Amino acid sequence: MSNEADTDDRIFKRDLLSSLPNLRAFAVSLTGRHDKADDLVQDTIMKAWANQKSFTAGTNMRAWLFTILRNEFYSQMRKRGREVQDTDGLFSERFSVHPEQYGRLDLQDFRKALDKLPDDQREAIVLVGAAGFAYEEAAEICGCAVGTIKSRVSRARTRLQELLGVSGESDYGPDAGDAAITARAFGS
Amino acid sequence: MSEDLGKNNDMNLAAQPQEVRPGTASPNASISRKLREFYDAVQEEGIPDRFLDLLERLDQAEKNAKSVDMK
Repeated sequence: MSNEADTDDRIFKRDLLSSLPNLRAFAVSLTGRHDKADDLVQDTIMKAWANQKSFTAGTNMRAWLFTILRNEFYSQMRKRGREVQDTDGLFSERFSVHPEQYGRLDLQDFRKALDKLPDDQREAIVLVGAAGFAYEEAAEICGCAVGTIKSRVSRARTRLQELLGVSGESDYGPDAGDAAITARAFGS
Repeated sequence: MSEDLGKNNDMNLAAQPQEVRPGTASPNASISRKLREFYDAVQEEGIPDRFLDLLERLDQAEKNAKSVDMK
């Protein structure tokens, strides 16, 4: 093995390692659960490792890893089918698992609101607003046009404002799912 | 590489035109801040041991494979 390849190899490992906290936060954002997120990250590491030759040194490693993780997430979701069609049920079940992990109450509320977004809007606002990607990079990761990402981010923001601005059901903690159902049953 | 990743980090959401009605805090700013707080909280959990172990195993497997190749 040449020295140059050896150096690339070391850089690959170093960058993979340093990307992990960010990659994992993205996985938690997508799945809504730490245990599933960690499984997803593990699968991503294996895939990345196996495909390291296809990664071009000097290009954007983080975007590459995020793309792998995102593809893996959607392909696993397709395989399983949507586990729960009823999003309200999914939502209350997901958050009864580790409510304490989100610490402060207002962050829990935020997490719940984020989880109510459609997948495409959630990933867009997370990539651009938290993971540190430019619109162009997010578009590449999601395989869509830059304008599409922009409009998804904008819709996500509006929806989050609606969900969080009206101090609604999420203030009532574990019964949030029930409260949402009740609100819908008695609402218009 | 990682340097230019963060280039738009502080600007992405803030650069969007925001409607700020008189007497209300900017709702976009509050959403952006909470999003980042949530995300950072997960990042700050660090790297779980299972991933460090996994990388070590992968590394070892690769070294073993290489030493076999050389023989």
